[in-house]
Amino acid sequence: MKLPAWNRRIMGWLIFVGIMCVIPQVIPPGFVRICVFANYLAVFAMSWDILSGYTGYASFGHNFIIGIAAYGSAILSDRFGFPLYASMPIGIGVGLGAGMLFFLPGLRLRGNYFCLVTIALLIIAHHLVVAVRPDITGGTKGIIGLEAFVTGAIPHYYISLAIMAVAAIVLWRITKSDLGSIFHAIRMDEDIVSTAGLNTFKYKLIAFILSALVGSIGGVFYIHFLGAITPDTVFSIDFLLTIIIATLIGGQQSIIGPIIGAYFLTFLLEYLRIFDALAGPQRFLIYSAIALVLYMRKSSGIFGIIQNVIQLYKRKRGGGEEYAKIT
Amino acid sequence: MPKLLEVRGLTKTFGGVVAVNDVSFHMEKGEVLGLMGPNGSGKTTLFNLLMRTFKPDSGQIFFRGEEITNYPTYRRVQKGMARTFQIPRTFHEMTIIENIHMSTRPDKITKLFGEVKFSDEERQLAASVGLEANIYKYPNQLTMGDLRRLELAKVLAHNPKIGLLDEIFAGLTLKEINEISELIKKKREEGLDFIIVSHDLRALAPLVDRVVVISFGEYVADGPYEEIVNNEKVKEAYFGC
Repeated sequence: MKLPAWNRRIMGWLIFVGIMCVIPQVIPPGFVRICVFANYLAVFAMSWDILSGYTGYASFGHNFIIGIAAYGSAILSDRFGFPLYASMPIGIGVGLGAGMLFFLPGLRLRGNYFCLVTIALLIIAHHLVVAVRPDITGGTKGIIGLEAFVTGAIPHYYISLAIMAVAAIVLWRITKSDLGSIFHAIRMDEDIVSTAGLNTFKYKLIAFILSALVGSIGGVFYIHFLGAITPDTVFSIDFLLTIIIATLIGGQQSIIGPIIGAYFLTFLLEYLRIFDALAGPQRFLIYSAIALVLYMRKSSGIFGIIQNVIQLYKRKRGGGEEYAKIT
Repeated sequence: MPKLLEVRGLTKTFGGVVAVNDVSFHMEKGEVLGLMGPNGSGKTTLFNLLMRTFKPDSGQIFFRGEEITNYPTYRRVQKGMARTFQIPRTFHEMTIIENIHMSTRPDKITKLFGEVKFSDEERQLAASVGLEANIYKYPNQLTMGDLRRLELAKVLAHNPKIGLLDEIFAGLTLKEINEISELIKKKREEGLDFIIVSHDLRALAPLVDRVVVISFGEYVADGPYEEIVNNEKVKEAYFGC
């Protein structure tokens, strides 16, 4: 019996999660830690995608929210002795609140102006966290020795996988709904969305809250996995570009693409370490070049390439149109 | 009985250019109003003010007796105003049925979490404007005539009280003009009122009850079509003599 398209898609997600659950049992332990990084990068990339990829409001300050949430939890747990079950939700709330406070006025701007406002906030946050109350923030050295919620790479892997999988399925489900269509429509022509009788600010706000919430959750868990936080870890332009490039390489406006992009980029960066000449920041040149070429040749990213290959295969077997409807 | 639409002293300037200057007019329920004027006279700017694409510098707009001057575009649409664009504007990455679907979405978040599904009403709407064979095509695959039909379908999707049609006949063949005209007449019989901007006076004449003429952003005259085309001020506005 053939399952309805919707159930097949859910089944696809369950199979994906099932495979991901088996991975730590079959790969070397050193790789598990890399997978944890990839999972968190996927969370950040998906959270960027839901706002910037779907609505077209390219946020260049996404890690401002991630960083505020992470610092919130780190400071509360390390400086004020809050238990993690309290500091982490508060950190998420602080990240969300800070994002709302500083980014929401920016949502009334469009295009380059929105990009400028968001990147300005990121740079300001980077400087402020160093200069204001370094006794609390740790200044340039940050805070080290943060309490971890679990120990060992494999438990961390499963927690990061759970966050990634839940975020992916929820966001993906939203993007396949009418709400997701409205996000997509805002990207194409915001004025026409208004003339369709829809309050665009409300939908941009929802996209922003989703983005900030997922980013904040990822940020808080990520920083307690790392065990240390510095301004460069969360507020640097490098970190921002890694998130954006992972999304673009994987394929924006897809939710699945950022996961692919995050794994591709994380493992690419790790494998480039093998070459002595690329052990340092030079690696970023290589991945930037790959991202640039890939994005210029195929703007829908690796996910777009995979979709094309599957469609070609299905078309040869006479089922291409059906596949196109599913994806 | 309040007027369907009333505009009082509407003014809009862009830098030093006065695009619309102290324009006032009204429209009764059951009426189709033509908006005429030479190129650059401010017709589309007036439409943009009516739909709040632009904010007026001064003046007031009333719709069914309620002042809507400060209402944003989406609220005006929800109140019963809908428009087409001089150059058709569509969601280019969406199919025709998806474009129509967007115009039927309620502005309520709780009703938007369902899977995207096209209703029979949306298919019927596409069929009512003659787009039934094209619903899975993309806008860039349509002729100008079909794009105008799509614009009209998007207006009708709101079930509005008034449709603002901006140069709805521009770029169409004679056959397409006749088809669109018939469609407008049919919708009028069903109770929908229109304001129509058109350069094509022959197409406009049989559709309108009354015409408002503006030139250089200023009100010139209004009245029945036959009276207006013989009006000296209108001739001067159009021909400079």
